[in-house]
Amino acid sequence: MAQASTALSVRSASLRYGTFQALSEISFEASQGQLVTLLGPSGCGKTTLLKAIAGFIPLDGGTVEIKGQDMQDVPPEKRDTAMCFQSYALFPHLTVADNIGFGLRQRRLGAQDIATRVAAVAEQVGLSSQLGKLPGQLSGGQQQRVALARAMAVRPGVMLFDEPLSNLDAKLRDHVRMEIRALQREHGFTAVYVTHDQAEALAMSDLVIVMRAGVIEQMGRPEDIYRFPANRFVADFIGTANIMPLRILDVDRTRGEYKVSSPLGEAVVRSDTPPVSDHIYACWRPEDAQITKPTADAQNRFEVRVTTRTFLGSQCDFSVHPLGDATNRYRIQTHGFAPVSEGETIGVVIAPDAIRFLAEAVR
Amino acid sequence: MKRQRLTPYLLLLPGLFPIVAFMSLVVGMAVSQSIGYFNFAGDDRFSLEFWEGMLSQNQFWRVFWYSARIAILSSLISVMLAYPVALWLRRPFPGSDLISAMIKAPLLVHGLVAAFLFVNFISFQGFLNVALVKLGLIDRPIRMQNDSYAIGVVILQVWKNMPLAFLVITGSVRAIGDDILDAARDLGAGSLARLRRVILPLTLRALQAALILIFIGAAGDWSFQVVAGPTNIQSMAQFMHRVQSDNAAHGWNEAAVVAVMLMALSLFGSLTLAGLMQLIVRRMGR
Ligand SMILES: Nc1ncnc2c1ncn2[C@@H]1O[C@H](COP(=O)(O)OP(=O)(O)OP(=O)(O)O)[C@@H](O)[C@H]1O
Ligand SMILES: [Mg+2]
Repeated sequence: MAQASTALSVRSASLRYGTFQALSEISFEASQGQLVTLLGPSGCGKTTLLKAIAGFIPLDGGTVEIKGQDMQDVPPEKRDTAMCFQSYALFPHLTVADNIGFGLRQRRLGAQDIATRVAAVAEQVGLSSQLGKLPGQLSGGQQQRVALARAMAVRPGVMLFDEPLSNLDAKLRDHVRMEIRALQREHGFTAVYVTHDQAEALAMSDLVIVMRAGVIEQMGRPEDIYRFPANRFVADFIGTANIMPLRILDVDRTRGEYKVSSPLGEAVVRSDTPPVSDHIYACWRPEDAQITKPTADAQNRFEVRVTTRTFLGSQCDFSVHPLGDATNRYRIQTHGFAPVSEGETIGVVIAPDAIRFLAEAVR
Repeated sequence: MKRQRLTPYLLLLPGLFPIVAFMSLVVGMAVSQSIGYFNFAGDDRFSLEFWEGMLSQNQFWRVFWYSARIAILSSLISVMLAYPVALWLRRPFPGSDLISAMIKAPLLVHGLVAAFLFVNFISFQGFLNVALVKLGLIDRPIRMQNDSYAIGVVILQVWKNMPLAFLVITGSVRAIGDDILDAARDLGAGSLARLRRVILPLTLRALQAALILIFIGAAGDWSFQVVAGPTNIQSMAQFMHRVQSDNAAHGWNEAAVVAVMLMALSLFGSLTLAGLMQLIVRRMGR
């Protein structure tokens, strides 16, 4: 039995299209009012998972529970969910107002209440002036906002967002995202949110789920996923990661410190969790490296050569490689301006706890 | 500027001209003959006598409403049978191609052939009667051929036209995306609500097209009526022929009146039916 506060619980969900395994053993839970983000490359099963939660596609195994009730025999129209479709799926024969009000009419609200609520939601997504148009007369971004408004208007217990902001410009996206958050605070719905935008995922979610090929690769709070990725795939998928193979040379168990050899040279790694193997992958983030004067002396200080330098205003991006080894490239990033030019040799320091073992042995 | 606007119309001419010319020729001929021109047996002069004569005949109005009834029944029943099947076959499943091919098969059989087969099947000594007697369901063969309610004609019309309706409706039913229907479900619409609020409005144009096509075909029916129709009443086409051959002097003029009325029936009848369908669908979608 799920706890009372568990609004949505998916357990061991599996789903096949013919012989193709689209989802395998997906399990996660979301409490009332939480926002869960699904991240993963195209075709990994995000939309399929949402559709399974909504009930459009039956699971081959596992369960979906909403507010503690098993949804197995509950058809989509009876589930307390509303989905914002990746394909928008607007009703082409209905005006924007009628599209947004579709679910409300189905719920037998009075004409006055429907009009009020449609107007309010349209306002939130900036569609007030478009209510009389047909979907075919709208731009892509406007259609997307109709799809979003139509789902939000019914105020379900569980909202399913399938890349709801992908077609909006940056400014509008920020605005609509804030409206979603505000609505969520107001009505306390639980949300499963698919996005390709990692910044969005990290900024909005209580729980991030990284999927690949129908399998959950890692699940956790945004900061944990970012700081402690489980494997190369997650490290690479979330943010930018420098991944390198390490060989464990020596262990100091009391301090949790490991002496390792790496393509950058010998280094010290501090980790609470022991490596899964002696020959293992590790990662560090571009912003974990600090540029030092060539003469400075510090732990984990490496000499590297700068191959390219990109000035981005608030930060500087560098591509570097270890001296005498141009095959391994790493990215480092500094805040503000760094007076370093291409071709120069610099020293970088990476704190021992910024290098993290991945749960993946080198084979 | 002016020339640019003219060019597309000029380009349309070669195609449009023969169509418009033949259309207006036929309609013009019929209308002119009905008011006394192109008179084969006497002077050409304007006269409403043929109209007055024809429209005051009870016989004519019986024929007119009979054809109207056949057309309405045939188109409505064909569409009502084809619609659920088209919905059922919306998403392909094993065997669905075979089913839809079988439904379309009557399109390949000429109506006259079908009519004769049908009459053979239901005739006094035909398969159906023999079978019913052998099964002990009836004592003596029943007379089903040329029934006076024209049930046989309607069956043939539906048999022939249902595939046409199916073809027209299938296209528009298939064009409705799964996501749109899923969205409706997601927003709380059960199967009836989906039909009323999404599927019917989105297939309305196809429904209307099927109704109009079948109505016009059935209103002008000749062959089904001659082979399988009632003997106590005629269809418009049959009647037109009889009027023409019965009356040597003004047969063509009177037949022309029937022809114009048949065209009017086809036009206004089918449009009325399509309009009613639209009203119903709109009302249901509310
Ligand atoms: N109806 C279907 N029949 C067969 N395979 C399908 C069907 N729908 C989806 N798939 C397959 O299932 C996999 C997952 O599809 P899904 O739409 O869930 O991906 P996604 O993660 O949403 O991708 P994207 O980010 O591109 O939207 C894909 O490989 C896709 O080809
Ligand atoms: Mg998708």
